[in-house]
Amino acid sequence: MRTTTMSQRLFPRRTFLLGSLAGATAGGALLAGRGSSGDGRTTIRFLQNKPEVVTYFDALVADFNASQSEVHVVHDSTPTALVPQFVRGTPPDLACYNYNLEASRFVARGALSNLGGLADARRIDPGVQDLVAQYAQYKSQTSVLPYSITAAGVIYNKDVFEKFGVSVPRTWSELLAACRTFKSKGIVPVVQTFKDTWTISQGLFDYVSGSALDVAGFFSRLQALGPDAGPNAEVSFSKDFGDAVEKMLALLAYTNRDAPSRNYADGNVAFARGDAAMYLQGPWAIGEIAKINPKVRVGTFAMPGTENPDDTKVRVNLDLALWIPNASSKQDAARAFLRYLMRPDVMDTYNAKNLAWSTTKNAPKAKDERVSGLQPYVDAARFYQGAGTYFPGGIPVLNYLQELVLSRNAKAFLTQLDDDWARYAQRNA
Amino acid sequence: MSLTAVKEAGSGTVTQPPGPGKVRPRKAERTYYLMLVPAVLLFTLFITLPGLVGMFYSLTDYAGFGDWKFIGIRNYTSMFGDPRILDSYWFTIWFAVVTTVVVNTLALLLALGLNGRIKWKTGLRGIYFIPMVISGIVIAYVFNYLFSNAVPQFAAQLGWTAGETSLLANENWAWLAIVIVTAWQAVPGAVIIYLAGLMAIPNEIYEAAQLDGAGAWRRFRSITFPLLFGYVIINTILGFKGFLNAYDIIVGLTGGGPGTATMSVAMTIFNGFAGGDYAFQMANAVVFFVFTVLVSLLQLLFVRNREVNLS
Repeated sequence: MRTTTMSQRLFPRRTFLLGSLAGATAGGALLAGRGSSGDGRTTIRFLQNKPEVVTYFDALVADFNASQSEVHVVHDSTPTALVPQFVRGTPPDLACYNYNLEASRFVARGALSNLGGLADARRIDPGVQDLVAQYAQYKSQTSVLPYSITAAGVIYNKDVFEKFGVSVPRTWSELLAACRTFKSKGIVPVVQTFKDTWTISQGLFDYVSGSALDVAGFFSRLQALGPDAGPNAEVSFSKDFGDAVEKMLALLAYTNRDAPSRNYADGNVAFARGDAAMYLQGPWAIGEIAKINPKVRVGTFAMPGTENPDDTKVRVNLDLALWIPNASSKQDAARAFLRYLMRPDVMDTYNAKNLAWSTTKNAPKAKDERVSGLQPYVDAARFYQGAGTYFPGGIPVLNYLQELVLSRNAKAFLTQLDDDWARYAQRNA
Repeated sequence: MSLTAVKEAGSGTVTQPPGPGKVRPRKAERTYYLMLVPAVLLFTLFITLPGLVGMFYSLTDYAGFGDWKFIGIRNYTSMFGDPRILDSYWFTIWFAVVTTVVVNTLALLLALGLNGRIKWKTGLRGIYFIPMVISGIVIAYVFNYLFSNAVPQFAAQLGWTAGETSLLANENWAWLAIVIVTAWQAVPGAVIIYLAGLMAIPNEIYEAAQLDGAGAWRRFRSITFPLLFGYVIINTILGFKGFLNAYDIIVGLTGGGPGTATMSVAMTIFNGFAGGDYAFQMANAVVFFVFTVLVSLLQLLFVRNREVNLS
């Protein structure tokens, strides 16, 4: 890819050294990040912690450090002290971080600098940029630049589908019909893993509700109610999620019997071995499945939630997004590395390698046939962020979901969500 | 956690240096004070002050960072109306009571056995001691695997259908798994204390009792148990207080599930920090602290003057 010079061979080692220093203690990271290194460069601390790609970003950082002489980037891959660092006023200078409700709190409180003036910000697809605001928005600022989108649908075993002559279902009743076919042939229609509670939210809850109703709209109306939320308010879980939850329970009839004591790794193994036709997981599971059984032919389709195929959408999340805290004193240096990361070749290479999509307009399409089934939905911006991701940590929605799939009591589940949401809103009013 | 520390730090002040003369006690006192000061300072800095700060924030709507304002006792009032909080208290108390009984019964039996005239005594004591030095979370993950995979497979081979689904996935009985694992880890600590107690009982009394014709059960009931009662108290109070703070083993076994069936108070408090519920869970922590202090005081009151001494 590139010729190795003496300095380039030295740099990775140096980055590794500084990186491990940053990893060992936050204090070490701060020392390394403060001031500038001996050769007159500005040193910035770059937070990026997605475990699967830490080494990939190590190489990117080394490339960037070798390519110019103004900025020296230190790769920090330990996010555990992120909130305390914000409290102390010493957050990372630039982060390439999973954007979720937790990260959105930095946006909501105005702790991130405005990136709206950058040319790169205007290249982001507006439909993707909207996803940021669905969790939080500070004034009219562009506080976060989406970097990588992962889209998730139903992973299915193409061989099993072809063997029993089942085509990809486009409506809810077609999905149930497919399930009945597989069940009658002794194949587990949908493998599920209730022991790892996040998988219940990721798959069953998010997929079904995402296609059955307007999740983002529901939560924005719910948030607008503030402390008036509750089971009898104009929007409530009892009213709007009833249909989706009934459908979730209907799917349970087509799940492996040992689902309550299986975890995520068990699910990957079961699906890779061909025990099941469908699996409600994201693209990250595809890599694991390939490791267990490279021969299994896998595809992905968006789960239908109604009788109208036009309602069907895919679950996305902003797997990585860039932001620069106001508290960083090295805004220019941070922006220099941000521009490097935003270069189309850098961004598109990363996303293609990780079964994800770039966030810019006219981003390249997915070539991998294992996820290309979701391409039309990404193209048309027919996507949503999972309903489970809208809950603040103070509401243990994952535990409630586990209770739901074990007890199958929809009413108790919905009332609990309404009551908890109301209580949370009231004490945070 | 804080309670034991209080006791430890406090015990230094109670001790009066014995000795004749006027100069030596004063000198000794100064030494004791010097020994005490670092502990008191560190304790104040790392336990008392953060505790007071937490109490202060329990009266606000603080999220851990950013702006906040006073909201009076609203966190406390909404706490008592929250079934999830109340359920976590019921679970924690139930768990602590059952585990204390189980741990002390097993530990006493084991200690009696390991104190008897048996072969390989030292080796056996060492083996029984092992669980104590393994971290709780590691034990929990190992048992998690056993409960989820090994036990159901074994049950399937025996044709025992009820055992085929994991105990951890059973909403009504998951607590039992947590009691089993917690006891497995906690019994050795209690055994050591009971062994120390047993070794402190002089053999002559048993010999005298035997001469008087007392059987094994009578010797246990009338000599061993009364003389061991002080150790029972220590194990009960320390154990109960520790089990009230149950956290790591539950995280490793059930994560509070199935549903919220095994959500302990400590877990509820900690989860609130991550979820922007800092001030609310601080109120919960204050209530829990007061509750723990009251329970410990009650235990102390209940057992006071019930100890038996040989002298």
